[in-house]
Amino acid sequence: MNEEKLQRLIGAARAEPAPEVSPGFEARLMHALRRDERSNPASLFDQLGELFPTVSLAAALVIGLCVAADLCLSTLGPMDLSEGVTQVSEQWLFAVK
Amino acid sequence: MDDFAALVRRHQSHVCAILYRYERDHQKLEDLAQETFLKAWRSLESFDGRAPFQHWLSRIAVHVALDHLRRERRRRNDIGLPDLGEHALEWLRSEDERSELGAREAAELLAVAMRALSPAEQLVITLQELEGRSVKEICERTGSSSVAVRVRAVRARVKLRRALERLEKGEK
Repeated sequence: MNEEKLQRLIGAARAEPAPEVSPGFEARLMHALRRDERSNPASLFDQLGELFPTVSLAAALVIGLCVAADLCLSTLGPMDLSEGVTQVSEQWLFAVK
Repeated sequence: MDDFAALVRRHQSHVCAILYRYERDHQKLEDLAQETFLKAWRSLESFDGRAPFQHWLSRIAVHVALDHLRRERRRRNDIGLPDLGEHALEWLRSEDERSELGAREAAELLAVAMRALSPAEQLVITLQELEGRSVKEICERTGSSSVAVRVRAVRARVKLRRALERLEKGEK
């Protein structure tokens, strides 16, 4: 087997087209992917990581609502939240003195 | 997952074309293609987008092919080599430089001769000769150093030629 003949053989083999993928390949693959996902559920950290943007947004909204409520109450009513807390602590926590 | 299905549709022919160099059985070929996409799906987070997705996927396919060659090598030790077509053997023995061999027969002949090579050598010679990849590209796809690739390529060619000579003499 000389070099030239080896090259002819390789050249001929290179020209061989790959077979077409069978029509059901994609469906079978996606089925296998779903099965794989079910058998390897995401860890707690992964789930928390996925939920993090939603949870942080919800927390920011709750904080915003609380601040807004406090501001509204302090302008409408006689007492804001900090004064209320001070009063409660004076009446209850330091009542013994 | 719908996005990944679109990626599968776009790249499945390319993946099968890579794997067909290492596995000619259609059913096994699709199993390997499925394994490639499953591995891609599981490690999708490691794709950083610096190289095109197709390059990244090709690297996974090459590693799947290498694992497959290693498994097959252990299995084939027990079952021996398949018979080659008469025309392929005639071509191999022929002195006539004008005689031609069909693409399919040539690929089958090479596949049989390649079994004399180690999986790593098969991988290098396939990437270099059949896919026309440069040493640098082979290094990227296999994770080997350029020296290792060059040494393997030279060794593989020598072994391949000897295997073809043995087939020519009917020794298998």
